Amino acid sequence: MSLELILEPFQYAFMVRAFVGVSLVAIVAAVVGTFVVLKGLAFLGDAIAHTAFTGIAVGLLVGIGIHFSAFFFAVLTALGVVVLTRVSQVKNDTALAILFTGVFALGIVLLSTSPGYVGDLNSLLLGSVLAIQSREIALIGGFALLLLGVLALFLPQFVLVSFDPVGAEAAGFPVVFFQSLLLVLTAAAIVISIQAVGVVLVVALLTTPAAAAGLLTTKLKGQMLLAAVFGMISSLSGLYISYFWGAPPGATVVLVATLLFAVVLVVQRMRGLGGKTW
Amino acid sequence: MAESKELALEIRGLSTGYQDRVVLRGVNWQVPRGTLAAIIGPNGGGKSTLLKTAVGLLKPFSYETLKLLGQSPQAARRRVAYLPQREEVDWGFPISVLEVVLQGRLVRKGWRGRPRREDYAASREALAFFGLEDLAQVQIGALSGGQRQRVFLARALVQEAELILLDEPAAGLDAKAQHELADLLVSLRDADKTIIAATHDLDCLTGCFDQVLALKGEVLAVGTPAEVLTEETLVELFARHFPKVGAGGEVTVHES
Repeated sequence: MSLELILEPFQYAFMVRAFVGVSLVAIVAAVVGTFVVLKGLAFLGDAIAHTAFTGIAVGLLVGIGIHFSAFFFAVLTALGVVVLTRVSQVKNDTALAILFTGVFALGIVLLSTSPGYVGDLNSLLLGSVLAIQSREIALIGGFALLLLGVLALFLPQFVLVSFDPVGAEAAGFPVVFFQSLLLVLTAAAIVISIQAVGVVLVVALLTTPAAAAGLLTTKLKGQMLLAAVFGMISSLSGLYISYFWGAPPGATVVLVATLLFAVVLVVQRMRGLGGKTW
Repeated sequence: MAESKELALEIRGLSTGYQDRVVLRGVNWQVPRGTLAAIIGPNGGGKSTLLKTAVGLLKPFSYETLKLLGQSPQAARRRVAYLPQREEVDWGFPISVLEVVLQGRLVRKGWRGRPRREDYAASREALAFFGLEDLAQVQIGALSGGQRQRVFLARALVQEAELILLDEPAAGLDAKAQHELADLLVSLRDADKTIIAATHDLDCLTGCFDQVLALKGEVLAVGTPAEVLTEETLVELFARHFPKVGAGGEVTVHES
């Protein structure tokens, strides 16, 4: 492959924007997603993505900011689950599934019956990173910095409420607050990732790189860093493949991430079980 | 009241349970400071429920008095350490032994909990006290059950907790580890801590503990191990099990 071929996509401003945008969300999603993977919250992440979609639909139709309405719906879902688990004390994945698919279906009906929005439906479901604008990149960048900043600032607190919530609460630690804050960060990461890979695949950005990283290390910060690297690699190579093959970039990004996970899994197995060395 | 200042735990007329299910009725119990106390009883007898109510994780239905270290449970929280049952902790979480012990400082600091140099020093000291200094960087889940208990006790030390409550600390430990744990609890008691452990494992209770509370929906008996661990109380507690008091006064319970 000649240098020209490698650089070819970069002559287009929209490709450069796409590379920057997708890298940003991949890093944030992978870092936040490390907690999602460790606490087994992938299903909740998927639910948040789907209700956020309806938030976007409502935002488009009512004419308010779509990021705002998406974030509102996403946070409502996340905090609703916190309340449900604390009040009912039962496993509620069935209730969650009923609720989020219902809300998602409403969003599809709303968008597809409103003339002029059918195109938005497709791009929301599959992502539209090639159409990303500089203003949106600035917004994503700002959110990315904010999310990573909050996560870094309260990392010991997030670790405590994930590791031993009962002991922490008994000692008077604000467990519910930090658990909720962590879910709000997850919701925000999902909202800024939807444009890149679409509603259907966004949970892969959260979980796949972080899960691959988890195979290689028993250190939390190492897992976050490695997840971010895997997320970067996936998004950059995914975009390249999408450029040359003409497939939707969201799908190629997730496909690369999945392959990367498979390779890591095989390598880790070949090194023998318990092969975590760093 | 001067008397209640000397009590680590003071419970009068307590009824508690989960949502609409009453588990314990009319509990009275006073534990003086510097006591090593055990709560014994069958599963479902209310051991965990009592501990959880004491630390404010469960709201009691009614009580006349409920005080920890002379304060309300809410006010006393940061001076109290509660070690949950094994299943309630995420042992697979990527966190090192040292990081777990540092959390003892974090629960005191709350919001602004960045560990400082003196926090690290205190944590390493606590690890050394429990003979765990070589395991500081190991992931917590890689430790044995007995070692994990010691890490949590080290965390309680770093928290400077005056009252330490343990929910089934002996569960899953072999006989040797149980005895080591009991020795550590004694040494913490001697270091002026108050220890209350819920256990359905009766090994070595007589040798180590100062006070025993027998619980089965209500208080069946309370007093020194010799007073409580009578064949009569044990049969009443563990109806379907067969308790045996050995020649040296040690008690074992066999499944019938």
